[in-house]
Amino acid sequence: MSETNATIDPRLLEILVCPLTKGPLTYDRAAGELISEKAGLAYPIRDGIPIMLPEEARVLTEGS
Amino acid sequence: MNNQSQAAAPQPPTGGAAPDTDFGFRRVTQAEKKPLVRAVFDSVAPRYDLMNDIMSLGVHRVWKRIFVTRLRPAPNRALLDLASGTGDIAQAWRRLDGGPVLATDINAAMLAVGRDRATGRGMVAGFTYVVADAEMLPLPSGCMDVVSMAFGLRNCTDKAAVLREAHRVLKPGGRFFCLEFSRLQIAVLEKFYERWSFNVLPLAGRLVAGDSESYRYLAESIRMFPDQETLAGMMQDAGLAQVRFENLSGGIAAIHSGWRL
Repeated sequence: MSETNATIDPRLLEILVCPLTKGPLTYDRAAGELISEKAGLAYPIRDGIPIMLPEEARVLTEGS
Repeated sequence: MNNQSQAAAPQPPTGGAAPDTDFGFRRVTQAEKKPLVRAVFDSVAPRYDLMNDIMSLGVHRVWKRIFVTRLRPAPNRALLDLASGTGDIAQAWRRLDGGPVLATDINAAMLAVGRDRATGRGMVAGFTYVVADAEMLPLPSGCMDVVSMAFGLRNCTDKAAVLREAHRVLKPGGRFFCLEFSRLQIAVLEKFYERWSFNVLPLAGRLVAGDSESYRYLAESIRMFPDQETLAGMMQDAGLAQVRFENLSGGIAAIHSGWRL
């Protein structure tokens, strides 16, 4: 996805949490994803808009 | 309820689970409702405002204007606009000197229409956009001064969860506002309104958007939505205080509000 690196508001990244666990997220800039370690999910950012839906998130596999 | 309307509509696969929520007049399982609603909005997204104009004879613009003034926009107040869609509320809030607005919608297509429209009007600063499910917000507790939802709650599967989440993300002293179709309080208009909703609307939907089923859903969902008193009770159950409502156009729509104390 070439669009994933579109600018994203840093203040937005500060406030967003995982919708399932309400725990913190880490921003993987290269992948354009917001990672919830606790939920084991990576939420995609498409066209600069975070998609905070568990059903749209990539499931993280052990050790990745 | 109304079995005639069910006859023509394709039945969703039930997958063995018992239907436990409404999709218009149909009963479906909670798991089924979300994709069905999404399909409706994917279908109507490009012409959503036109649809609202048809459904309300243009009056939704007046209702939204009243709604936004009730939110009391001010530069030092942060707004979470749920089901922000094409962005009418978020943009009006900013135009009236409201503070930063976080616009969310479960439908990325609708949100993109809203963002492009705002950007096209030179409105960029102060807006952020997130695709989110109002039933499980990706926000910490107590971060918003105002939470608004205009014509969105009706389409949510678990309305109680939405109200609990709105309460949770509000700061103490923050206020939740809901604008939604409600129950007409003027008996003499009821028959006209009924005809309008179930005969004229689906026909108009077919002619304008080529999609009468989606419009039928929208008309049915309005009729299935809790009336003024019931919604007020649901808001109280979610923890909101001093819940009140204001009827618009004789109760065709209503503005509900409640505080997080």
